[in-house]
Amino acid sequence: MAPPRALDEFVTEANEILESLAKDLFVLDQERGREPDPERLNAIFRAAHSLKGLSAMFGVDRVSRLAHRAEDVLDALRLGRVPLDDRLVDTLIETLDMLQALLARVSQGTHAPDLEVGADHLQERLAQLARGQADAGVDLLDQVGIDPQMRSVFTEYEEHRLRENVKKGVGLWKVRAVYSLADFDQQLAALNARLKPLGEVVSTLPSSQPGDESSIAFDLVFGSSRARGEIEAVLDGATLSPLTSRPAPTEVTPRPGPALVFDSSSSNAPRPATKWDDVSGSGVALPEPTSASGLRLSPDTSLRSLTQTVRVDIGRLDALMNSIGELLLIRSNINRLAEAARQVGTGVALPKLWGQELQREARALERKLDELQKGVLDVRMVPLGQVFDKLTRLMRRLVRESGKDVDFEVSGGDVELDKLIVEELSDPLMHLLRNSLDHGIEPPEVRRLHHKPQRGKIRLKARQQGNQVLIEVGDDGGGMDETRIRQVAVQRGLATEEQTREMSRRDLLNLVFLPGFSTRADVSELSGRGVGLDVVKTNLARLSGLIDIDSRRGDGTTFTLTLPLTLAIIRALMVGVSGRTYAVPLSSVMEIVSIRHADLRTVERREVFEVRGQTLPFVRLARVFKLAEAQRERSFVVLIGLAQQRIGLAVDELLGQEDIVTKPLGGRLRAIPGVSGATELGDRRAVLVLDVGALMEELTRPAAAAG
Amino acid sequence: MSRFAELLDRFFYRPDEDVGAFLELAPEVDTGPEVAPEEVPEEFLAFQLGDETYAVPIATVREILKVGDVTEVPRGAPNVIGLINVRGEMLPLYDVKVRLKLADAAPVVRSRADVARGARIVLIRDPEGDAGVLVDRVHGVVKLALSRLESAPNLGLERDAVAGLGRKDGNLYILIDLEQALS
Repeated sequence: MAPPRALDEFVTEANEILESLAKDLFVLDQERGREPDPERLNAIFRAAHSLKGLSAMFGVDRVSRLAHRAEDVLDALRLGRVPLDDRLVDTLIETLDMLQALLARVSQGTHAPDLEVGADHLQERLAQLARGQADAGVDLLDQVGIDPQMRSVFTEYEEHRLRENVKKGVGLWKVRAVYSLADFDQQLAALNARLKPLGEVVSTLPSSQPGDESSIAFDLVFGSSRARGEIEAVLDGATLSPLTSRPAPTEVTPRPGPALVFDSSSSNAPRPATKWDDVSGSGVALPEPTSASGLRLSPDTSLRSLTQTVRVDIGRLDALMNSIGELLLIRSNINRLAEAARQVGTGVALPKLWGQELQREARALERKLDELQKGVLDVRMVPLGQVFDKLTRLMRRLVRESGKDVDFEVSGGDVELDKLIVEELSDPLMHLLRNSLDHGIEPPEVRRLHHKPQRGKIRLKARQQGNQVLIEVGDDGGGMDETRIRQVAVQRGLATEEQTREMSRRDLLNLVFLPGFSTRADVSELSGRGVGLDVVKTNLARLSGLIDIDSRRGDGTTFTLTLPLTLAIIRALMVGVSGRTYAVPLSSVMEIVSIRHADLRTVERREVFEVRGQTLPFVRLARVFKLAEAQRERSFVVLIGLAQQRIGLAVDELLGQEDIVTKPLGGRLRAIPGVSGATELGDRRAVLVLDVGALMEELTRPAAAAG
Repeated sequence: MSRFAELLDRFFYRPDEDVGAFLELAPEVDTGPEVAPEEVPEEFLAFQLGDETYAVPIATVREILKVGDVTEVPRGAPNVIGLINVRGEMLPLYDVKVRLKLADAAPVVRSRADVARGARIVLIRDPEGDAGVLVDRVHGVVKLALSRLESAPNLGLERDAVAGLGRKDGNLYILIDLEQALS
């Protein structure tokens, strides 16, 4: 296998190929039944071809072999030798998913024995498709579709025996047995003896998928007229799979091959088509929405990209180069000025002209640095479409499985956001969309009853607004049931009945974001959401994002996510506390008020204050950080809000705003609560950047008696 | 060695081929306290902490800095003095005196004014993340032969951060195990 660095490059490039392949296949999928655009077919063919070449070059055989088979099919398709039917499109999409899953494993550097069988099976199906229906049936063995790799090792006699078995109409099976090196001979003999009464062991081959170092694997080709269950009963640990992929459908279980491997993951049976989802990296592994166990089960289940790479338009790099060229020019000017100043000598006043010139250069420097900063930020920007495309593909599949009639509308894919944010967004968005589909859109009968168009609608919209990006996930479903929310909230002890009565509708809806709200099964009765939404909120809070709900009974629900354009450079409010300086990300600062300490009240011995009729916790940052507190009559209170919560952070001084680049704290200090990193100011002093999300969480937790 | 090779080795191992026992009897093997003539002494950076002289392998030292501004880290570990900005990199500054029982509490250092004139920050390379260690004075590089190092005497004190003792020209150098000292 290639060295890690080269492998990285491979993954990046293969990923790009797969993405373009996915786009084209998606169009093909949408235009089912129509004459495919020859250009598109060519593009797909080329993508498969490049992937084959690329993976062969890097020694990633698994991917290369599968891509090769796909290429064969596509070539035949391109030349009009095979028709483009549903089965072909489905197989190609499945191949794409498999390739993505394999690539994900490659990028993690792990082997994928669990995917092997599926990949083999897929290869075989592709091979068949490539051969086309017309010439199928020339050879009986071709007809039943035995893995050509396996066939190539059969002796003439074995092939003859196989043919005989096929003629008899007997089921052909592949028995995979893995035995320890110590006693495999006895084990194998025993297995043969057990199988014999049931049929004929045609051949015993060393498996093409070897076991681990201490064991050895065999593939037994076995012909038997018995039912699957009967054979399986005598296997004792060995696994059974059909050898043939095209026998009469009644003979074999509906999902041959991969069924064995995925049985555990697809036990929620009513969605048979999900069989690849759990491994394809497409993120649908949340088995049932009610589990709410978190968005990130494992890296496998995420829609995130496999690589950290950003593709950059050369124009943007040129702009950066330009800025740097101009900066160099300014540098030489400043050097000249410095030289002039040096020659004037000490004690002599510098000419006024010199000062003016220096000032001009300083201004130019500032402008150019701004440009450079903007340029670098631009490079980090990627279109949201990258994530939207994946979500679209996923939604089509989910819609098909759900059996609901739903239109999925996407717009604003060209809006650009920092790469980091786009990556982090994929999981929360997926969760919200899934929620819309599962709980938002009513079943067709209900919709008809309410005189709504039978076809539901789910929207995913993005637009830029100043320094923020708004993303909407909306549906025209049943909306949320306030009464139910109120009940659940009271039941769970998240709010008292009193409180819920006084809450505005918006506050009430926002209760679904509270952690304890959604963890139980009966939440799904709530005609709407509340499933794992706290996780969505937390994920967004990490991106300094806000989430808001708008829901109308009967008309549907819309979630609006507000996100900053970039995380790399942020504007921060600098505050002084007991002589220390801290930076508070401005994106989470709602407003600043001045509060007289005499106006403070306490609720359950915690200090609170009032702003425009709203009572908020008053948290002294000095106390949180255990610093000496100065006696004072007034404090500035920085109102910070993240997602749904608000608190007032009391500080001594306000020191203005700065653009800061947050740097992570050295590896050893990672776990400082309430601090997300540090930044350097003009005087090179390190200033800590507050982690508003963590602080809020800490301070609003019941146990934290911070006030 | 791959796991497989290891398995093979174990499989083919024959006790009668093992020469380990004979090596000890072989005359040219030097097991005495004498330094083998070809031994190249290792270089250590020696510095002062309190009244004692300590040393760390020079390879683990990234650089030596003067004390500049130190940013206090609220609610940090007790041995963290603060955060220093090393050319844009934010690194923790540690106190090891408490760990070595040379002081009762980490000093409060916020700028150069809070330390003695000779005080320096020894920047340590560490896979867990580089870190600064505040020392009272840096002495310089000292060469110590590894084979001559003594293990730390048992003084009834819990000083597990001491890796050993080295002696040269009448000076005693205490080698610190930084892993332990910073934990």
